Amino acid sequence: MEYLIDLQNVSRQFGDVEALRDVTLQLPPGRIGLLGPNGAGKSTLLKILMGLLPPSSGSGRILHHELTRGSGAANWELRRDIGFMPEADALVPGLKGVEYVALAGELFGMSRRQAQRRAHEVLTYLELEDARYRKLEEYSTGMKQRLKLAQALVHDPPVLLLDEPTSGLDPSGRSAMLRLLLQLGKDFGKSLVLSTHLLGDVEQVCESVVILLNGEVRRQGSVGELCARRQNRYRLQIQGDPNGFLEDLRLEGVELVHDNGRGEVRVAVPPDWITRTFFVLADHHGVAIRGLMDDDESLEELFYRVVGRT
Amino acid sequence: MSANETTSTSRTSQRSAPVDKAEAAAPLPPAISPAPVLLLEQVTKWYGSVIGVNQVTLELRSGITGLVGANGAGKSTLLRLATGQIQPDIGRVSVQGIDAWDWKAKRRVGYCPDSDVFYEEMSGFQFVESMARLCGYPRRDARLRTEAVIEQVGMVGRCDRKIRGYSKGMRQRIKLAQALLHDPDLLVLDEPMSGIDPIGRQDFVELFTELAASGKSLLISSHELEELEKLTDHVAIMARGRIAAVGTLTQIRELLDDYPLAIRIDTPEPRALAAHLLRLSETVAVDLSDESSESGAGTLVIQARNPRKFFQDFGRLVIEEDVDVRRLESLDESAHAILGYLLGGNRG
Amino acid sequence: MTTRPAAPVLLTYRPWRGQLHGPWHGIWAIARTSLLMLLRRKLFWALYAFSGMIFLFYFYGQYLQSWIAMQLNEQELRLGSGLVGITVKPKDLLELLKTALRLDGSGYTYRSFISFESQIVMIVQALAGSILIGNDFRFGSIPFYLSKPLHRWHYLGGKFLAVAVLINLMTTIPAIVLFIEYGMINSWDYYVDQWRLLAGILGYGAVLTVCLGLTLLATACGLRRIVPMIMAWTALFVFARLLGDGLAYGLGLNASWRLIDLWNDIYLVGNWCLGMPHGSIRPQPQPEYWEAALTLSGVCTICVVYLHRRIQAVEVVS
Repeated sequence: MEYLIDLQNVSRQFGDVEALRDVTLQLPPGRIGLLGPNGAGKSTLLKILMGLLPPSSGSGRILHHELTRGSGAANWELRRDIGFMPEADALVPGLKGVEYVALAGELFGMSRRQAQRRAHEVLTYLELEDARYRKLEEYSTGMKQRLKLAQALVHDPPVLLLDEPTSGLDPSGRSAMLRLLLQLGKDFGKSLVLSTHLLGDVEQVCESVVILLNGEVRRQGSVGELCARRQNRYRLQIQGDPNGFLEDLRLEGVELVHDNGRGEVRVAVPPDWITRTFFVLADHHGVAIRGLMDDDESLEELFYRVVGRT
Repeated sequence: MSANETTSTSRTSQRSAPVDKAEAAAPLPPAISPAPVLLLEQVTKWYGSVIGVNQVTLELRSGITGLVGANGAGKSTLLRLATGQIQPDIGRVSVQGIDAWDWKAKRRVGYCPDSDVFYEEMSGFQFVESMARLCGYPRRDARLRTEAVIEQVGMVGRCDRKIRGYSKGMRQRIKLAQALLHDPDLLVLDEPMSGIDPIGRQDFVELFTELAASGKSLLISSHELEELEKLTDHVAIMARGRIAAVGTLTQIRELLDDYPLAIRIDTPEPRALAAHLLRLSETVAVDLSDESSESGAGTLVIQARNPRKFFQDFGRLVIEEDVDVRRLESLDESAHAILGYLLGGNRG
Repeated sequence: MTTRPAAPVLLTYRPWRGQLHGPWHGIWAIARTSLLMLLRRKLFWALYAFSGMIFLFYFYGQYLQSWIAMQLNEQELRLGSGLVGITVKPKDLLELLKTALRLDGSGYTYRSFISFESQIVMIVQALAGSILIGNDFRFGSIPFYLSKPLHRWHYLGGKFLAVAVLINLMTTIPAIVLFIEYGMINSWDYYVDQWRLLAGILGYGAVLTVCLGLTLLATACGLRRIVPMIMAWTALFVFARLLGDGLAYGLGLNASWRLIDLWNDIYLVGNWCLGMPHGSIRPQPQPEYWEAALTLSGVCTICVVYLHRRIQAVEVVS
């Protein structure tokens, strides 16, 4: 299978500091989430994936580009196939929206006309049509984020690298951005690498994750495989005073795993349990069940498990 | 709906001691209470001809209150009014009865701003200590307070490095430290968890919960609704310069009568259940989707009015008809969904 | 909410398949955009107007000279009419134009023209430096450029090209126009006889471009804001000039002390290109041409090395 990212024992040192140690990654094309606490080596890995930094040791390929070694010119051709959406504002003040995106297109190697035409098209797709003739300084945070995505998309790259794409966005802007990314990944077949602190973003968009800690890869693979399925666990939302109800559950052999004090509990049931019993006991105590769900391991729990916190 | 209807229970992650059932059934009568920690009375503020907040009334007592809303809804203006940085054009802002503009009120408020405004050449410790001196502490007390506060935010080993080299999480902690120096009763936090990794976020959640448990009042403005939902379910939603709703999420949801609650039910025999559900008076619509989950169960999405009663009736229905419920979920009760309705569709 | 599908979207994202050129293509794009941003500033146009004035002065001066030479038959000339008219003797005027301004189509003309223009160029450079590069650092545009398939040298090349266009628009190209004008006024043989002068003009322009361009890029990368840049620029060219003058002329030290005056070094090398005798440069004790060339090469090399280290691709991802 053709891997999107194929790294073998890649390490990178900065003087004495080892930012990445023995990283071996094999990820197929798709939507990939890159998670890890601060200082785990995420930004170093991103730079290597973009060809901005050569690895100190190890080899690999991104798409079909081999990674070059040594401290010489890193692999700038790789960036033709990648659209990078940075976290910080990477704007060129004084330009108008469409000029900015057209410049990006030309820098990718498009001819001037094609770049301009494509800039208009991409800005329309990202709902910046009305603002495209305005100067960049006048854009709001949400518009700037979409503009950064536009300049990454202008040359229609097969791979998008996104660094905190939803930072600074309000909830509706955030869900709009995530829907956009999901659409680009699913409907238009682009591969995404999403580096973020927000696990919710990764849950919504990504199929596979890479978890980095202290420069090492702790987990990689699809979310479905990595998150443990727990057959006997349920999450309940209770309307009313839960105490008598929970007592009864305990008597029936149900273990209370967590109670958040606001009517939401997580329980582990004995084998051969039927959900109807919940309702029976609830009715007994005059409470109602508002929610009932399987309590499989969430991405957040997986993350904390891997990173070593409860 | 004002905030003092929910009594001042502290929000801890531990379950509170079992309360007598009779008491839980009836709401507590409003107590004769001292002045609320933060009170905004019909406050309006303009910036030139642009209106920042439009006749806002809000009352906070102890505990954590979330402030959510779109960008440009007036949240920062509200926070600046609360911390006494600007004065309202109409109305009054008071902290524990004292006008917020007055320096005596500012003594009781700690502010953790959104932007980073540090002297980058200082070390974290020096910065917090200078802030302590500015608060009015004499030299020795300033040092002691600084040490205490740095320990509280968990920056003990790292506070001697220059701020220039700090990560986002460390900067947020320093900001929080300087807000806690004078032990304020009200903490106003603007996006405290943006840019922090999940582990740091968990630390903050614990810290905020602790602070709330010790009797402080926290007003947290954030876009990260998932984190807010872990901290509290008491939110104030702002839109277009006004407070759209205040209360717990469930209460707010119940206000939206136009939108019946959407509830998803997974069960092996959806159509049979659908037939039963149609007999209930609260059911407004039943949507049979063709998608089936992995366990072979079918999915129903129904819309119901009067959710409280619906869930009680549903429970009885399950018992009577022996329904195998695999999943029961309210689809639009999250802060996210509610915000979506209040702000009206796609934006941003 | 029932899962009703949203309104069908007919206009959706379209993929793009096309040829991507190499990074050299991007250099002109960077140069063009930078110039565009500079051209949008009114201050730039004010400064450009000054340089235009100087050019017009020389242009019409040359024309006036030949016109007066034709009028030399008459003893007196009345310029203007009525009360505002003045009476001039064409001979005196011609003497004035020839001796004082040396508008004779020789190397002196071009030397003085280019050196005048380059003073204006220096001021424009300070503005250009802060807009072209300083802004990029301040507003974080460098990651935007470096995350594209370019090397940092392409980025610097684009900026250098913008600066080069700027300098040449104000010095070399007007000088060439003057050259052509002189030939057209006097005789066609001028072009054939004095082709070396044309080469000299281009040479002087090239020296200006390379030296000023590199020092500008280096200074702008080091000091990003406009005020420190103007200060450094003034120190480099004005203050060093005074110092060199003071040391060599005032204190009577070895003429080689003038080498710290970069401005003078460029002037010397320009004279060399135009084939001017060493003795014609005032004030006199001047370092040799090759000394000046060596100093300039040294300064340029330092600038290049500095730039190599300053623009780091690692700034792209924070």
